[in-house]
Amino acid sequence: MSDFSRREFMKRSAAAGVAGGVALTGFGKSAGASDIPQVGTMIDLTRCDGCKTLDVPACVSACREENRERFPEPIKDIPNYWPHKKKEDWSKKKGLTSRLTPYNWTFVQKADVEHNGKRYALNIPRRCMHCDNPPCANVCPFSVQYKTPEGPVVIDRDLCFGGAKCRDVCPWGIPARQAGVGIYLKIAPQLAGGGVMYKCDLCYSRVKAGREPACVEACPRNAIIFGEKEKMRALAHKRASEINGYIYGERENGGTSTFYVSPAPFEKIHAELMKQKTVQPNPNVPGFPGMPVDVENFTETANGIAWSMIVAPVAGIAAAAGAAYKTMKGGEKDD
Amino acid sequence: MTKVAVKKKIKRHGLSVIFVHWAVAISTFVLIFSGFGQMPLYKRYMVDHLPLLSWVTNYSVTLSIHYWAAAVLISAILYHVVFHGIRRDFDMVPRSGDMKESAQIIMAVFGYGKEPENDKYLAEQRLAYAFIGFSLLLLVLTGSIKVVKNLSHVNFSEGFMFWITQLHNAGTILIIIGIVVHLGAFIIKENWPLLPGIFTGKVDLEYARRRHSIWYNRVRGKKR
Repeated sequence: MSDFSRREFMKRSAAAGVAGGVALTGFGKSAGASDIPQVGTMIDLTRCDGCKTLDVPACVSACREENRERFPEPIKDIPNYWPHKKKEDWSKKKGLTSRLTPYNWTFVQKADVEHNGKRYALNIPRRCMHCDNPPCANVCPFSVQYKTPEGPVVIDRDLCFGGAKCRDVCPWGIPARQAGVGIYLKIAPQLAGGGVMYKCDLCYSRVKAGREPACVEACPRNAIIFGEKEKMRALAHKRASEINGYIYGERENGGTSTFYVSPAPFEKIHAELMKQKTVQPNPNVPGFPGMPVDVENFTETANGIAWSMIVAPVAGIAAAAGAAYKTMKGGEKDD
Repeated sequence: MTKVAVKKKIKRHGLSVIFVHWAVAISTFVLIFSGFGQMPLYKRYMVDHLPLLSWVTNYSVTLSIHYWAAAVLISAILYHVVFHGIRRDFDMVPRSGDMKESAQIIMAVFGYGKEPENDKYLAEQRLAYAFIGFSLLLLVLTGSIKVVKNLSHVNFSEGFMFWITQLHNAGTILIIIGIVVHLGAFIIKENWPLLPGIFTGKVDLEYARRRHSIWYNRVRGKKR
């Protein structure tokens, strides 16, 4: 080994480096192509009045009607989440429209806020924001939730296990769980899984067919505008500058496809919603989201660490080459 | 005064091998634990109620730990490949006939037939190395794709990510099987003398001469 030459070392280093690099290669961007550009919505809070003449806002009724056939039909004897003596069962509260549930994928919150000496009685349609980099889809343990090329974030209800991690990492806790339904019943219902997660998919089948989501179509005051995402963003900016207002959803969670425009700052709206949440029948149960301003994306911290996965291996290769050269030059056999 | 007989030792592993083994072992255990933390299991089974484990249900913490441990694992794997690639040390790579030889070794342990002469590693060790190596490479490759997918502005197709995730989960099961078999081998008394090697780098000389005669004779031949 001691007659081992520098040229030979370089040759072997290159060969070993290529072999080692194999572990880091082999992936490329492969998002599905679509003829439809990314879509989004602009929700003008100066226009929405919560359909004050109706018992249930038109957008909520339209959503429920549109998705009725997709609502969960759980088994009769739903098992508890062993070892806990509880389960999430909304099947006896199908008519509830004042929060998000597996049977109600959008609802309208009310917030009375004061700003610059004026009081605003705001009505805020709430549902999935359809984030640009959705943590719910990114961290799903079985990758059965995904962002479509057109923008809506969709859950595959046939394969969802109902672990509710998507809800835990969503800054708004949007997905709602129904127990006693889904694939977990066929595997180990007593031990793992919790049902299926349900949420707005922006009427994805309608979007793909070139139609508007049901809530948009039903809104009598054009408070929810649907269209190409970048146009919705521009529209939100235009409207915000007209009313000297504020935009929500553009930066939050790293960016979303939903742009709210309000005459009052969202910090105040969020504070009011959080106050209301404390007096909900069960304040700790998700389904009554706030509007935290500039809320960070769950994967942000991990993405910062991702760079170490490029730097550290390079250090590993360099150290290995150094160690190999040293031991071979010294004639040391690593036996 | 009683004389204590000092057993003679022979060097089996250098520092690089010991370093890689423990870097891979520790990072893999951390990855398995933090990986299971990416499922809603710990909350359901109240693992966070155990002392010092209240953090395990925080997905952000377990994901960050998973990333750091993955960086260590990838570094160790690349160190291993580059180090042995340059040195052309391929003692652990499976050879033809290893399956048959493994069966002979196992039979001999239970008193059936004679164990074949062994090189530095037993045939079953070479097969275990290939199995664990394959599992780890599968996990690193699929895990790297999952890391890229988590970055902003990167969106892979639904079907692609579904299968990558299933492969990652399958790789986890494979590596757990590999670890159980690897550790299970030490239930057999005949393998006990190998244990000090991965801590100190040295094994008993008499054991090496008796069980790893091909390697022993090669090393002794070179030294003469």
